[in-house]
Amino acid sequence: MLQLRNLRVAIDDQEIINIAELDLQPGSRLGLVGESGSGKTMTAKAIAGLLPDETKVSGSVVFGGQNLLELGDRELAKIRGKRIGFVFQDPARSLNPMMRIGKQVSEAIRLHTDLKGDAVKAKVIELLRQVQLPDPEALVRRYPHQLSGGQQQRVMIAAAIAADPELLIADEPTTALDVTVQEEILRLLISLSEQRKMSLLFVSHDLGVIRFVCDRVAVIYGGNIVESGRIEDIVTRPMHRYTAALLAANPGMPKDDNFSAYIGKRLQTITGSVPAVGKFPSGCRFRNRCQHATESCSNAPATSTVGQEHRYACWNPGNGGR
Amino acid sequence: MTSLVEVSNMYFHYPRAKIAAGDVGWTLHDISVAIRPNSTVGIVGESGSGKSTLIRVMCGLLRHQKGSVKFDGREVSEYEGAGVNDLRRRNQIVFQNPRRSLDPRMTIRRSLSEPIRALQERNPDDTELITSIQRVGLGPEVLSRFPHQLSGGQLQRVGIARSLSVNPDVLYADEPVSALDVSVQAQVLNLLMDLRDQLGLTLVMVSHDLGVVSRMCEEIVVMRHGRIVEAGRTDSVLAKPASEYTAALLRAARAASLERSTAN
Repeated sequence: MLQLRNLRVAIDDQEIINIAELDLQPGSRLGLVGESGSGKTMTAKAIAGLLPDETKVSGSVVFGGQNLLELGDRELAKIRGKRIGFVFQDPARSLNPMMRIGKQVSEAIRLHTDLKGDAVKAKVIELLRQVQLPDPEALVRRYPHQLSGGQQQRVMIAAAIAADPELLIADEPTTALDVTVQEEILRLLISLSEQRKMSLLFVSHDLGVIRFVCDRVAVIYGGNIVESGRIEDIVTRPMHRYTAALLAANPGMPKDDNFSAYIGKRLQTITGSVPAVGKFPSGCRFRNRCQHATESCSNAPATSTVGQEHRYACWNPGNGGR
Repeated sequence: MTSLVEVSNMYFHYPRAKIAAGDVGWTLHDISVAIRPNSTVGIVGESGSGKSTLIRVMCGLLRHQKGSVKFDGREVSEYEGAGVNDLRRRNQIVFQNPRRSLDPRMTIRRSLSEPIRALQERNPDDTELITSIQRVGLGPEVLSRFPHQLSGGQLQRVGIARSLSVNPDVLYADEPVSALDVSVQAQVLNLLMDLRDQLGLTLVMVSHDLGVVSRMCEEIVVMRHGRIVEAGRTDSVLAKPASEYTAALLRAARAASLERSTAN
């Protein structure tokens, strides 16, 4: 349903994103994981056509048979917010603090559907109920500051699904929330995607969260997809050294309740930090931080496939590449 | 062993908190907790549970209304006049968002000197500042920079260096890594563990991440609605939670975490 081919994004002749190939199947939930500065949010924005005017975008983003990059503003407006919905990290900043909840959701409905009058009101209540907010009739009269962070994020999700989008792009939607609230919101996103056969592109820096939500994952570094495949394959048998390093740096939770063996255990770190745009090395973008880099790594690695749909671009992969 | 910080039957409310008849509206309710020297304690709970308020009361930034809070054997209220600076120097906090806790108009050199000037009433020389910045893994060139020129991870290292510059006994860390990426989190957490061991610090860490707490803290305090739900050794509390609330926190944490054997 969504196909990215040779997607390149550049600002001032600095290439920020270069994705040869990335596919999202209908009804599937794809995680996009990487550190700050790896290009994950840029990629999501490029798909949505939300990049600033000074960026140069080339290649293709095919959604429902159309290349979104070739559409004019009016045609894009029929897709953005309508067939593709968005949820962002900080609901408190995405909601208008001066506007009642009911109005915020009804604006999305009016903008993206043909509903009018009482039908809009009924739809607001229905949407708030679908995102499992209690007492929607009273909630519509409230202002954002009267809601908890989790409730605010549910309102954002209600507005995002107002026009029954085929694809929902969620960018770190639970990073600002408590663990228990995070779990509820993640479960909500999973069940909405299942009930509505809605695909999900889920952007996060946390592979633990992505494993909970997604069936597929793409790992991004330096604007390149370095590894992609089914989430269980990637988490249990990472091939690219960057994926393995991201997994090892995650604090995780001990297996089999073995907390006593966990105490005092240092975390594995990734050397250095993500370079600034334009400062990435040639060849494999990760090679200056990689402990397994070889001479070959100064050349761009080709993409290899292992098992089913498991692709990676690494000269010296983990597990001997099998 | 005697406690370094000892809180007994302590109650706290913010000024002008709603006072209904018979209900004082306590933010912290009947808190008792003891922190041994050189121990690492994790305080967990949801937003609004009172965990950040608790550490501010413990280090004397907020004054409780009932009960007792002792530091090094003396009531915190007894540290007055010159004693306040001594209390502040020995109890330091690292905040969640280093971008907000450092003055954007000050160079790192100036930010780093402030606690020493305020609490020890002297001007540190460059040698001292360089030692202090190197201790957290940054180079001396950072001293002449401004906060906006540094990454989130670097800024949090500066925040840690700043707190440690006055040689505290207790370091309180309030969600020190939740604003950072997973990979940078790992670097900062390792740094905290190393510094704790090198300097013999007592570390009290507020965190909502049970994975982090279970690695770093040998003791855990679980809070909810301003009360302590459960406290004890981290491995026993988490392996066999006595309260339904702790069990629920654990389930939620486990659902969205990577499970891992303890090999690394």
